[in-house]
Amino acid sequence: MLLQLIASSFSLGSFYALIALGFSLIFGITRAFNLAHGDLILLSGYLAYALYKGLGAPVLLTLPLCMLALPIVTVVLHRFLRHVREPFELNTLVVTFGLSMVLQNAMLLAFSANFRLLPKADFTMLPPESTPVLNPGQIFLIALSLLATAATHVLLHHTFLGKALRATIQEREAARLAGIPVERMGVVAFALGGTLIGLAGPLYGQSAYLQPFAGPEPTLTAIIITIFAGVGRTRGILLGGWILGFVESAAALVLGSSWREMVAAVLLIALLLLRPEGLLTLRPHRESKA
Amino acid sequence: MDAKTHTSQALVLLRTAAVVLLALFVLAVLPTALPAQSAAVRIGEIDPLTGKLAKHGTEIHEGIVAAVEEINQRGGILGRPVELAFRDDQSLPETAINQAEDLLYRENVLGLVGGYVDSLVAPVSELAAKHRIPYVASASLQRSLTQGRHNPYFFRVAHLDGIVRPLCGFVTNVLKARSIAILHSATPGSTEFAEEIRACLEAAHLPVTLFEKFRPGSHDFSAFLMKARQAAVDTLICGGFLPDHLMLVRQLKDQRIPVRHYIGPWGVAYGSFIEEMGRDSEGLLGMCAWNPGITRPGTDEQSQAFVERFRARFKKSPNSTTMHGYVSARALLAAIESVATTSTPLTGEAIAAKLRTVDIATPMERLAFDEQGDPKDYHQVIVQIQNGKMVAIYPPERATGKLE
Repeated sequence: MLLQLIASSFSLGSFYALIALGFSLIFGITRAFNLAHGDLILLSGYLAYALYKGLGAPVLLTLPLCMLALPIVTVVLHRFLRHVREPFELNTLVVTFGLSMVLQNAMLLAFSANFRLLPKADFTMLPPESTPVLNPGQIFLIALSLLATAATHVLLHHTFLGKALRATIQEREAARLAGIPVERMGVVAFALGGTLIGLAGPLYGQSAYLQPFAGPEPTLTAIIITIFAGVGRTRGILLGGWILGFVESAAALVLGSSWREMVAAVLLIALLLLRPEGLLTLRPHRESKA
Repeated sequence: MDAKTHTSQALVLLRTAAVVLLALFVLAVLPTALPAQSAAVRIGEIDPLTGKLAKHGTEIHEGIVAAVEEINQRGGILGRPVELAFRDDQSLPETAINQAEDLLYRENVLGLVGGYVDSLVAPVSELAAKHRIPYVASASLQRSLTQGRHNPYFFRVAHLDGIVRPLCGFVTNVLKARSIAILHSATPGSTEFAEEIRACLEAAHLPVTLFEKFRPGSHDFSAFLMKARQAAVDTLICGGFLPDHLMLVRQLKDQRIPVRHYIGPWGVAYGSFIEEMGRDSEGLLGMCAWNPGITRPGTDEQSQAFVERFRARFKKSPNSTTMHGYVSARALLAAIESVATTSTPLTGEAIAAKLRTVDIATPMERLAFDEQGDPKDYHQVIVQIQNGKMVAIYPPERATGKLE
């Protein structure tokens, strides 16, 4: 059972990480606190659902299509948020809260209040009676999560664009003085974030369900994981997702299903008290006394 | 600025203020001073039309609209048209209270109808009692709302016994389960249901090996399913709602948990559930009080007529929740009509008194209320999904097929 628990935790944690990656990237680079993040994931999920139901597109094919479509939405959102005045974080929070409500009602009009589910990719290679520790759907989810995290990490740490993006995360004004076009970095961040949101949408429609008002939950998950990881820490996102997944699953197994959120909340509070900078963020060295 | 100019400016300001106040007064008084709007009979509805419960709230709303349009097509209540003032509670109890207050204070409705889940129904029922306005709830189960502290203005068209008794009989007599797991949502109605079904099954010496609750809206049931596998559960009863079943059944199939019978009293017996789950819904068991084709004996024609009218109006099929909305509105309208035929003024007290004597035949049930406001005759049937269709399999007198 322990092996099963670990496997389920990895799968759940990978799902959480996929939800959080786009939020973390956008917040880290632009400081835009996007409360409509979950609604954008649902929008991507609904787009995949429409392609699947309306055009009969296989779910696997909807992934790249959504990854192409959502950046358009997020770049438009970026252009809109450019007009937001200081204090930027707080004002974007208010503006995107409003956007969240607009998106919810638009999705209600377009897709009704029915609960929608995307089919899982059809893997028929397993013998019918076998009970593997990880089922193919979970393996697919973990693989995609690892791939998305690795791609984001490589982009941020091993390319010139990534260096510019990280410089913007670390010190916006210094980056501007060094000649980095920080405004353009914002567009890039929203486009990259949109790609990750586009990827998360169809997977959300498979692992959870689509409903026009279900957006606040993935938004909350993304915020929690970002706090776990520390801003701009892509590997920390995955680690945070896995830890949260493990804690939730273990609490449900040992204490009962109703305890999972309570234990996760206690963990989050403890982390905020003990490591407010995030799991993988190095603490600044204390200045030695003169 | 001299004193004269100052005085004349003050006078202008005073005059403007007086005109504005007068205009506001006229606007406030005008609606009551004018003759009543063709003396329409106004009833109010509060339902979750947005938010997480929007699906079922919308279904109830459509059932209520169907009942109001039906009576208006017959000429209304003694020639007076019925008007429905409906409000969206956004699936939030505090909004439900605000909207109910709006209907009671501003819209002056004669009665309230609608409501989905007890957390939204309970506060409205208390407000209705305070205003002495009857409230016929469409979907409410919690016992404490009708028993213990009696509220003479509260009525509902469903009760828990109508679900627990047939389900307990089915699991005991038909399934003969060896190891039962009960998982329920942490809502008042679902919790009461789970405790009562456990007590009933244990009284019949059936082993309930796993009993757990979960937060509504949970997406991950893998830990619970691990325990179900270890306990060799062969019958799983889930007191969750439609989205919970979508998640649980999918994970049950993904993890290949060898559960023989899956029962979801709420949420499985829906066309939309079958559509989303596809082949994975085959063999699942659900419950309903009515569905097209699953109707109270002797009401087939009435049921079919309702289905046809509904499809023509809403371009979709009604379901059990729709019927609960329709029946609750029918009850309230029947009581109002009954009062209107006498010389008694149409007051909340008079309508509530008439609701206690209402006796109407509907495709779902023969509706009459007991002293607490619960329906006297409410029995759900067990259905199984077979070849993409719902087939009634228990109790035997309502069965149209057999358990597969």
